[in-house]
Amino acid sequence: MRRPDSPGNGSAARRRRRWRRAVAPILTGAMAAAMLTACGGAGGASDVTADNFTTKLTDEPITLRFIWFEWPPAHALEKLANEHYKKVRPNVTVEVNTVPIAQWHDAIFTQFAARKTNFDVPILDSQYIGEAVTNGNILELTDFVGKHVDRSAYNPAFLGAYGQYPQAKTGEADPGAKMYGLPLMGDTWAMVWRKDLIKEAPADWDDMIAKAAACQRDHPGMSGLAFQQANATDGAATPYAAVSGAYGGRLWDAAGKKVDGVINDAAGHEAMRILVEQMKPLTAKGSGNWFIDEVNAAVNQGKTCYAFQWIGAMPGLLDPKQSTLGKSREEIAGKLGFAALPKGKKSDAIPLGGMGMHVSKYADSPAQAEALNFMKWFQSADVQRVWAGLGGIPGRTDVVNSPEFLQIAPYNKAFTESLPRLRDFWNLPEYAKLMNILTINVNAALNGTLAPDAALNKIAREQQAVLDQSR
Amino acid sequence: MTVRTDSIADHPDAASDGTGAAAARSGRSRRGRGGRRRIRGGLEIGLLAGFAVVFLFPVVWMLETSLKHQRDVYAVPAKFAGFPITFEHYADVFSSGSVLSTGFLNSVIVAGASTALATLLGVPAAWAYSRFPLTGKKHQLFFILSTRFMPPVVVVIPIFLLFRDFMLIDTLLGLVLVYTAFNLPFTIWMLRGFVDEVSPEYEDAAMLDGYSRFEAFVRMTLPLLIPGIAATAVFALIFSWNEFVFATFLTSSPETRTAPPAIAGLIGGTTIDWGLVSASAMVFALPVLVFAFIVRKHLVAGVTLGAVRR
Amino acid sequence: MTDIASPAAAGDLTAPPAARRFRFLTDRRLALLFITPALVVLLFLSVFPLLWTVFLSLTDYSATRDAPPRWVGLDHYADLLTSAEVLRHATTTAIFVVGAITLQSGLGFAIAYLISRRSRGRGGLTTLFLVPMMLSPVVVGLFWKFMLDAQFGVVNSVLGSFGLDGREWLTNRGLALTSLIVVDTWQWTPFIMLIALAGMTAVPRYLYEAADIDRASEWFKFRHITLPLVRPLLLIAVLFRGIEAFRLFDLVYVLTGGGPGDSTQTLSFSVYKTAFLGFDTGEAAAYGVLMVVVVMVLAQIFVKRLERFGAAGRVEPDRRRGRRPPPAKALATADGGIDDSREGAR
Repeated sequence: MRRPDSPGNGSAARRRRRWRRAVAPILTGAMAAAMLTACGGAGGASDVTADNFTTKLTDEPITLRFIWFEWPPAHALEKLANEHYKKVRPNVTVEVNTVPIAQWHDAIFTQFAARKTNFDVPILDSQYIGEAVTNGNILELTDFVGKHVDRSAYNPAFLGAYGQYPQAKTGEADPGAKMYGLPLMGDTWAMVWRKDLIKEAPADWDDMIAKAAACQRDHPGMSGLAFQQANATDGAATPYAAVSGAYGGRLWDAAGKKVDGVINDAAGHEAMRILVEQMKPLTAKGSGNWFIDEVNAAVNQGKTCYAFQWIGAMPGLLDPKQSTLGKSREEIAGKLGFAALPKGKKSDAIPLGGMGMHVSKYADSPAQAEALNFMKWFQSADVQRVWAGLGGIPGRTDVVNSPEFLQIAPYNKAFTESLPRLRDFWNLPEYAKLMNILTINVNAALNGTLAPDAALNKIAREQQAVLDQSR
Repeated sequence: MTVRTDSIADHPDAASDGTGAAAARSGRSRRGRGGRRRIRGGLEIGLLAGFAVVFLFPVVWMLETSLKHQRDVYAVPAKFAGFPITFEHYADVFSSGSVLSTGFLNSVIVAGASTALATLLGVPAAWAYSRFPLTGKKHQLFFILSTRFMPPVVVVIPIFLLFRDFMLIDTLLGLVLVYTAFNLPFTIWMLRGFVDEVSPEYEDAAMLDGYSRFEAFVRMTLPLLIPGIAATAVFALIFSWNEFVFATFLTSSPETRTAPPAIAGLIGGTTIDWGLVSASAMVFALPVLVFAFIVRKHLVAGVTLGAVRR
Repeated sequence: MTDIASPAAAGDLTAPPAARRFRFLTDRRLALLFITPALVVLLFLSVFPLLWTVFLSLTDYSATRDAPPRWVGLDHYADLLTSAEVLRHATTTAIFVVGAITLQSGLGFAIAYLISRRSRGRGGLTTLFLVPMMLSPVVVGLFWKFMLDAQFGVVNSVLGSFGLDGREWLTNRGLALTSLIVVDTWQWTPFIMLIALAGMTAVPRYLYEAADIDRASEWFKFRHITLPLVRPLLLIAVLFRGIEAFRLFDLVYVLTGGGPGDSTQTLSFSVYKTAFLGFDTGEAAAYGVLMVVVVMVLAQIFVKRLERFGAAGRVEPDRRRGRRPPPAKALATADGGIDDSREGAR
């Protein structure tokens, strides 16, 4: 780099400085602006607590910002808040910003990394909690939950999956656990089928495959199965987890932090082969990059006999504006059957979906206080019932088991039936990496890039390496 | 290239004047060659037309899709003609408060400001590099150009950390600064070519008349550089307009999102509205195509960062 | 460019000399004043980040955690250079670069040749061919994703109307990478074409005329006049495209997401995954540094080869005006064949 001249007399140097300013005003302006803004504090320790949050609420107009991925429940949540929460807190507007599902994790954690979030309430996938807690990105809510939320009202599986870290064994209540979130939306993978074409629900997983194959044979232009297979987020991982859950496979041994030898045991290999060799041939050509929306489209356009879908996305299946199966919700519902995933001969675990609400550490105090206030409000049975009516899936046991909930939509029964069978993925700070390994390699196996056995062994090896590194 | 080795007079120039020495020699051979020429010409036109169809079809298809009703978009087999036309997708693009219209506005601001800034910094630098024999000039210039060749995905990591400390993440100002830095090497290189073409003698003459070097630059050379500056600015504008990687990783809010990530965000939702995607792509591409047409004489310099002049 | 060089401001020359303001701005100071701001911006936003990347690459820093960087030396580099996965992604990238550049160069050169042989409508034709290049890669990727969709895509629909089976363009092993190459080729063939055309229009006419007098064959003219004179420019075009293709990201991100499996995961995409999925910032930095080194080294080797072709004047920054080798001088009169007004002169 060039060095400036040795300084001449003082006035020349002054003139030079003046000219430098004159020639590059934008540059200096921009730098100055950068320096000035840099003085603003980066969000840090919160002064909002379980005891004082009501006093921190502001009466000024305020926007409470959520972030979620783009799907119908996101719009339902916005509607719920702006129609009902507004009655309690008229100065609050709720905004649910959405990102494409493939970017869900990155969009949130990139902002955490930036120590500045444009959301106050991140809606995290159940498994993201470990990463967010370890990095200190979200507020601890143990105190708040203890004072303002009735834990016993919830299915322990939801409370654990969407709120606790470290998590107790899925499905078991752990009163001593640290809480970082509360259930927003319960969810699970469930089955949709064309009951106008297939009279009886399948008896078990094998029977379903047989019926799907028969249906595909009998109805040209239709595929037997449709399910997400994308190589992003949990796209291809979920179908594997489902099949593994039906054939006695295990994802890992949590106590021993062991994957290699666990996921790729005999049952695991059988599950992978069934997925790739028996189920994949029954899906539509080119469906190897499908995610939630493509599966919905396939059902709506009458292109598939069976589909697996998240309950949260199922409202889109009964929407006459999107579906070609009927002109009204009732007509469509007459053609579609909904049920919990078929049981396997060896086991019956079902992938747990759904997500909780959390509070960003980088939000300002009024917003954090408002977020806690919203959470407290959201947990009441009345609000949960309204939420269910809008297409949300509440976490409260009393609401989920109420006859009203079961009547709201034909798939709600499938959800309630699934509850005892739920199984979550790993709940670790390394979750994103583990999920990436599982999804990419299952996707590779589904699309013929890797042989099923090789893919599973690769998953085991790579995931074990991630776990070993974090030890 | 299937060329008969004995056909010599079918170069377009020889063909157009019709008085090529070889062609004049015998009428019979001229007819023979004329036939081959026609066949060959026809073949060439056919090939060219084939290429044109292949290269333009996606653009035409995009235009058609943007004008189709939703049900026609997904029609199998695809409908190439005879579908009812609708402008609803274009209306959706511009509907007030939509992510897209905000995105377009942000793109205009970011591309405009970063281009202005790069020009303001680039013009004097280009002039100085062209006029003065500076120590290590060659290395400086090569270094300047090489900064442009770093993979954006790599550069975005330290920029992200840097901007985090300066609170520039998720701000338009941050994007403006990054794009300025990314456009600057190109601006300097391309403009240096234009300065080279303006003879230094005008400046020398002005200095003989009593002007200082600085004044000579401002009064003599700068006015002559204006067309070159305009052309350079348009290319900087096109780059910042189309940029995606920095925009994706350095901004996250709908309020600061520029058009490319906003358009990319249209897929991955519950239903993919290809009509809307196409309409927004068309609207987004239009300014670039107009600009490119304006600076068509300088396209080569523009797309090679000034390394190849004209 | 003669219009630019004409002394439009000649009137000012006769104006009475102003007081010699700014005389303190000696040439040296002026140069400094003019160059420093630009260099400061580049230092601040290009060099400093790069040096920081090098530093981070030697640590285990993670952008999401609050822990300060811990020195790990060359561990990341050792891990990356011995990783089979990195090798696979490098191979994918290499296949992509070679495939795309070969295809684009061939097609681009062919189209340029065909256009250069037309006597009418060249400007219009060239402009039409340039459209893909001007589009944002994201838009291109998105739209091709729709066109290549196995169910609703127009490509399979057209194949179907010819009685051919549709293919799984984006999800089939091998085909997905081919699709990436095809889409990149669609977008960037015009780039090669543009530059090749600039070279061809600049070939002095007398060379062809002399060849005609010698009754040289069309092939001879192509082989011994057109090709040698266009080659230097073509190689520069290939260099630029090569660097761009090596760092390909947008298209992968939108079109395949690296799939199926990781079969289309390029190096840039891997850097992104390391940096923003696992937030292994240190490792991603090392990955990035390696990429930059590879680009620099390959580009240097290529430029050295280029210089042997006598095209040095085009890329060597310091060659003085008027001292370019003859072919380059001839090329300087080319307008890229875009300007319609030039055709009247033919």
